[in-house]
Amino acid sequence: MSLTAAITDRLDLGPRFEDWLLERVRRLRGPTEFPLQLAYRHIYVMPTGFGAWFGFLLVLMGVAGLNFNNNMTLMLVFLLGAITLLSTLLAYRNLLGVRLEAVLVKPVFAGETARFRLLLRNPEARRRFAIQAVGAESVDATDLRPQDSGRLTVVQTCPYRGWTEMEPFRVENRFPLALFRAWSVIIPTARCLVYPEPAVNPPPLPDSGRGDHGVARKGEGEHFHGLREYRPGDPLRRIAWRASARHQKLYSREMEAPRDDACELNWYLMGSGDTEEKLSILTAWVLRAERRQIPYSLEMPGAALPADLGDEHRAACLKILALHKA
Amino acid sequence: MTRRATTTALWVLATFAVAMFPQWLRMPVAVAALTLLPLGWRLLTELRGWPQPPAWMRHVLTALALAALFMSYGDLSGRRSAVSLLTLMLALKLIEGDRVRDGRLVVSFSLFLCATQFLFGQGALMPVYGGGTVVLALVALTRLHRAEAWEQPGGEPPRVRTSFLSELGFGLRLAAAAVPVGLAFFLFFPRLASPLWGIPETTLDSKSGLSNSMSPGSIQQLFMDDSPAFRATFDGPTPSGGNLYWRGPVFWRFDGETWKGSLFGMNFPASERPAPGASPWSYTVQLEPNERKWLFALDYPTTAPADTRLTLDYQLIRRDPILQLMRYDMVSNPDFVDSPTLPETIRAEALDLPPDLNPRTRERVAQWRREMPDDAALARRVLDWFNREPFFYSLEAPLLGRHGVDEFLFDTRTGFCEHYASSFAVMMRMAGIPARVVTGYMGGWYSALGDYFLVRQSDAHAWTEIWLAGRGWTRIDPTAAVSPLRIQQGALGALSEPRHLLDYPWLRGLRNGVDIVQQRWNDWVIEYGAQQQSRLFAPLGLERAGPAVLVGALLAALGLFGAFIVPLVFRIRGPGRDDPVQRDWQRFLRRLRRLGFSGTPSCGPLETGQAAATQLPALASPILTISQLYARCRYAPGVPPASELRQAVRGFRPSRKPV
Repeated sequence: MSLTAAITDRLDLGPRFEDWLLERVRRLRGPTEFPLQLAYRHIYVMPTGFGAWFGFLLVLMGVAGLNFNNNMTLMLVFLLGAITLLSTLLAYRNLLGVRLEAVLVKPVFAGETARFRLLLRNPEARRRFAIQAVGAESVDATDLRPQDSGRLTVVQTCPYRGWTEMEPFRVENRFPLALFRAWSVIIPTARCLVYPEPAVNPPPLPDSGRGDHGVARKGEGEHFHGLREYRPGDPLRRIAWRASARHQKLYSREMEAPRDDACELNWYLMGSGDTEEKLSILTAWVLRAERRQIPYSLEMPGAALPADLGDEHRAACLKILALHKA
Repeated sequence: MTRRATTTALWVLATFAVAMFPQWLRMPVAVAALTLLPLGWRLLTELRGWPQPPAWMRHVLTALALAALFMSYGDLSGRRSAVSLLTLMLALKLIEGDRVRDGRLVVSFSLFLCATQFLFGQGALMPVYGGGTVVLALVALTRLHRAEAWEQPGGEPPRVRTSFLSELGFGLRLAAAAVPVGLAFFLFFPRLASPLWGIPETTLDSKSGLSNSMSPGSIQQLFMDDSPAFRATFDGPTPSGGNLYWRGPVFWRFDGETWKGSLFGMNFPASERPAPGASPWSYTVQLEPNERKWLFALDYPTTAPADTRLTLDYQLIRRDPILQLMRYDMVSNPDFVDSPTLPETIRAEALDLPPDLNPRTRERVAQWRREMPDDAALARRVLDWFNREPFFYSLEAPLLGRHGVDEFLFDTRTGFCEHYASSFAVMMRMAGIPARVVTGYMGGWYSALGDYFLVRQSDAHAWTEIWLAGRGWTRIDPTAAVSPLRIQQGALGALSEPRHLLDYPWLRGLRNGVDIVQQRWNDWVIEYGAQQQSRLFAPLGLERAGPAVLVGALLAALGLFGAFIVPLVFRIRGPGRDDPVQRDWQRFLRRLRRLGFSGTPSCGPLETGQAAATQLPALASPILTISQLYARCRYAPGVPPASELRQAVRGFRPSRKPV
């Protein structure tokens, strides 16, 4: 059996072909713009390794059938050959008309894998079977029900901070017999924001540098201060749901934190050292301050954010760190 | 093992089981049992969760299977033993792995196995077998394709609402759409006029029909075999039943038990070929493949087909064994004197007997010889003796010892045609009359519907020829003297007891009647070849169609089909049934359309319901109920049972004109 395995492996289209095709698609069509409805010119069809093996068997049977003029064998071979031909059409049709709506991705930290999510839509009234997204590191598959949408994940390791472009990938299928593969090369314009890798054992959070200790500041912090009416812009998690329900009106909790808990994350106070190391420590501090609900400000060359808390603030800080020009 | 994987494996198993079935029937018992073993184990693995057998057990099983194969077939170079080996290996593969690759290997080799089966027989039922294997293979491959798509993501394929029938339906649709294209290939793909290579004779391990020797019991064995030997269609006059002696192997040498052909009888050409004569029998024979070299003809063949020689004793011997259905035209002329003079060497061979055997017969013949010096009269005397004395024509012939002819003629007196032919020839030789034994077939069943004679293996017969001065070699059938019924009604009519279970006259009649299907199938499909292909366009005035014409026709046909088939293929539904919720909703929409409402496809169900209710206020309440039910069934499946929607839609039967 290892012989057949060797044959099929050898006949599978290698990376060289994929690279060549990718270059060709890049030259001819450039990057893919979403939404894209897969049409005739986007779809390639080629035999799979199994298809090549199957074809070899058919030729073998066909030659024997012709030699002995064995008509039943020939009928079998011709029927299977016709089915093979038709299966190319089915593979092509299974992909034809599928809409690629968008690629979504959430930021990750350096060293993690980004999960690009491709949103697909099947605008037609027939089911699509086993549509796959094949990236360099992952394969994902989904069925698309009639007039329904689906998503496919392409995983990509992001070793460095900053913007990471999504690698080209294939949307493909081998329906119905896996003799042929119909696929489309997608060169996405999507990119993933990669934050610096947080330092494993960062130094303790720095204190505020200004010295106005002891003055409590309303609005932020982790200690409950009182209730006030909801104002647009208040974070959702501050809403006092129980009180709001009682009074049929939205109330927000007012929190307070001692001002001396606020910390100042300042690039210029980090001393000299490796840029990436400093960024790692700042990243770890942002995460830690957020976890401890200590307001933090960030000052970087060319960017500064006042002390604050919350997901948006965290994301803004991390983005600045991610995109810092060394 | 997940349930889904099990279903996929079951389809693979079913493909293999169907593909190997004809071979399995043909296998020796031990090998057949060893083939079932891994199949059964795998089935239990899938259904009962048995573990895969350990490696040592698989190795032991493989060794055992090879030993059984070798012991049953003797060697493994024959065609049947090779295919049995393939079957066994595939069966063992079933318990070796359950990955997608293993499944594909089994399915693709099952199709190969199916093709090999056609080498052994192309009966009219074989298309059912082939088609069944193909459809099962398609379903199995579709299943495997799904398994592969989700192999790496680590999950299992999402459920498609399927049933056994819907999956089979997809396979059938795919195969059916391929039939016209396959047919175009079959008709127009240029065939080879002559094979590029032949099958080595050593690989022929299942010769059937008459053999190159005759001993007591050899024809009796054939008598149990009801498979067709050949069919003959007469053009012009048809010989009467008593003349239907189809000449096959002729034997000269006798060692006391077995009759064999003679060297010069087999190798020298006929000294004289009969002319077609005044009223020749002209006929076409469709010979079933038997892996032997004899062609059968009525006495005396005037011509020899291509690659066939007519021997000194008027056997027709082909250069290569007959592996495919074969058709040949023959003209026979019964009015012919075979060897008016007998050369001394041949006479010596035709009188040769082992000495010291059968003393009682020798004595009896010597006595008769003294009474009648005339050869023909002596032959008549012996036949008369057969007829008067209590000789029986029966299958239950006892075993004979060293003086076999003695024992048969004086003790047992029960035998089949080979006993009578052999004893008669021996007696003639003892009397100094040159004699030889001829085997072949006698009679045949005439199909009025198809206007042909069907000759089965069970019509095999043996008779004698003696050389008489002035008349040459003369046919004498001693069996006729014992049992005239054998000649009139065939061997089956002459025997009172059935040969085996299910051997009834009406069943035989049915089988004979049904043979016309096989005959037509042979005529139209199996015999289609280069010759028929070249005459394909003769009705259009093109006498000989070469490969270029055929390829052109093929391309034209494919282009023509392409226009029809491609849209058809594009409409093929995939496997899986419709969602019942969806189906009910569509039915509801159809009913709304009949009332004149056509919604916009982009609207959701609730919007559609609202719009319909506004347009058809009289039905507003059921319309809104159904659209809300549908929305809930669709988006919160399982919360309201789907049957509720079905009932609501069923109850929604507004008359065509709303009030």
